[in-house]
Amino acid sequence: MIAVSLMGAASYMPETVVDNDFFRAASGVDRHPMFRGTQYRHHMSSGETASGMATTAIGRLQKKLDLDLHRDVDALISNVTLPDIPFVGAGAAIVGKLGMNPKVVYDLHNGGCVSFLFMLDLARTLIQAGKIRNAILCNMQTAAGRVFSQDDNRKLPQSCVPGDGCGAVYVCASEANPIDVIITRTHGEYALDMNVTAPDGRDWWQPGESAFNIDFDEAHIGSVIDRGNALVPTAMYDALAETGLEPQAIDRLITNQPNRIFLRNWREALFLPEEAHIHTLPEHGNLFGAALPICLERGWSEGRLKPGQRLMMAGFSHAGDYSAAAIISLNSVVH
Amino acid sequence: MVRMMSDVDVNKIEGLVRVENVPKEDMQELCMEMTHSVYPHKKVYGDYCPIQAHVNCPPELAFRYLAKTEALLEWTYSLRDMIYVPEKELFEFTDAIGGTTKCYAKTVAHSGPMTVDYHCAWDQPDHLWMIYLMRVVPAELVFNKSGCVITWINCRHPFYDENPSPELAPEGRKVWVGDGWPFFYAGHTVELENLKRILEYRNAHNEWEV
Repeated sequence: MIAVSLMGAASYMPETVVDNDFFRAASGVDRHPMFRGTQYRHHMSSGETASGMATTAIGRLQKKLDLDLHRDVDALISNVTLPDIPFVGAGAAIVGKLGMNPKVVYDLHNGGCVSFLFMLDLARTLIQAGKIRNAILCNMQTAAGRVFSQDDNRKLPQSCVPGDGCGAVYVCASEANPIDVIITRTHGEYALDMNVTAPDGRDWWQPGESAFNIDFDEAHIGSVIDRGNALVPTAMYDALAETGLEPQAIDRLITNQPNRIFLRNWREALFLPEEAHIHTLPEHGNLFGAALPICLERGWSEGRLKPGQRLMMAGFSHAGDYSAAAIISLNSVVH
Repeated sequence: MVRMMSDVDVNKIEGLVRVENVPKEDMQELCMEMTHSVYPHKKVYGDYCPIQAHVNCPPELAFRYLAKTEALLEWTYSLRDMIYVPEKELFEFTDAIGGTTKCYAKTVAHSGPMTVDYHCAWDQPDHLWMIYLMRVVPAELVFNKSGCVITWINCRHPFYDENPSPELAPEGRKVWVGDGWPFFYAGHTVELENLKRILEYRNAHNEWEV
């Protein structure tokens, strides 16, 4: 089987930075558990687009890796939280803006906070099948500015957690930093536990006055926490079992970053010290699907991801509908 | 308002978490903080060893079986050769994990709450400090199904860590009962599984009275 490697990562964060006071002012609540762990987050402004963020992030990736976007990218695989235009993903717009010439574009609409690993699995499969030689994976998180900064939503405690941002990763057939295993799981029984709701109860496609929010049924909060505590370690241990590795073989961990408790619990599940878990929760909040590629870039740029290490990437999405884990052997220096 | 107790101003007691002083959001965060994905064995079984099982056997029959000290000959891993010691009103066993070690046991059972406590000790019958606290609960009440739940708790008495009377050990014995504390969860779980199988077999074949 051809080895498929992660070659490099780049990101773009929207210029608008919002601190906790933005939400405190709206809610009137001075201290709330939801504020803990996050100080700042970036918000897309109304003129910004997902494909615009991706264009900048992929442009940076191109410079870092000296890519010819017309020649060196056979596939563009993307995931966007809330697309620029309903019905369509951002892929074609990104191709148009950057003058790319991919054989295929896939806009994945599943996987949410762990969609990066679903995209990585797809890219690896296509490369190993000989359909493509390389791909750019791009996650665009847009919901913070577009949903959680709305006046109606700002006062809700959960609105301070999300942050926007975009991460892009280049993968190709190579032994540089090969993927040892990817585990993906779908838990359909949890699919309906997260909803998009408005105070007046209308459907999201119906016109109205009030803002929509993402609603986790309060009655299910306990079970969503229970799922996160179980699904991610289970996926990680399934990945370990498939490679025959013990948890002690893992040197670094990157996950989605919903809150500091999940981060602690997942790190503990691999017996890793705090510094081995690369995340940006304090400065970026919950980046949804963009957390994985953005933290990859962070790990490489800060020299925390080094040759000789084994990296575990894992996470779960929404109220538990998807979970995934992957192990990457880091063999090469990436800047 | 029903007054049940003398007045104590609980607000003066430090560290209480009550709805009056800890808002719901903080309580929720506290609960999240305390809930982990994984727990080190020592954190769970360091000073207490609580285990439990559902047994497909009517609770009263399970209680009557447990309350008879001779049942220990069947479901424990290593208590054998039971002799009654009338002057002490207790039983003497050989505990085969300690070679020829004698283990003394007295059973204290209460049929109302269906508790069965085995007060035991190695080597001497005068201070029975190894106490196995068991309780039978009707599964109908707690699981809405037939059978019973058996709970079993041990507490880590300091004598587990240090034998207070090493001179009473049979000559040449190297092991001490407390050396096995890190394996109590495993050992007791094996024995509870024995108990479950025996009770379920006896119940299925209606084999109760001698």
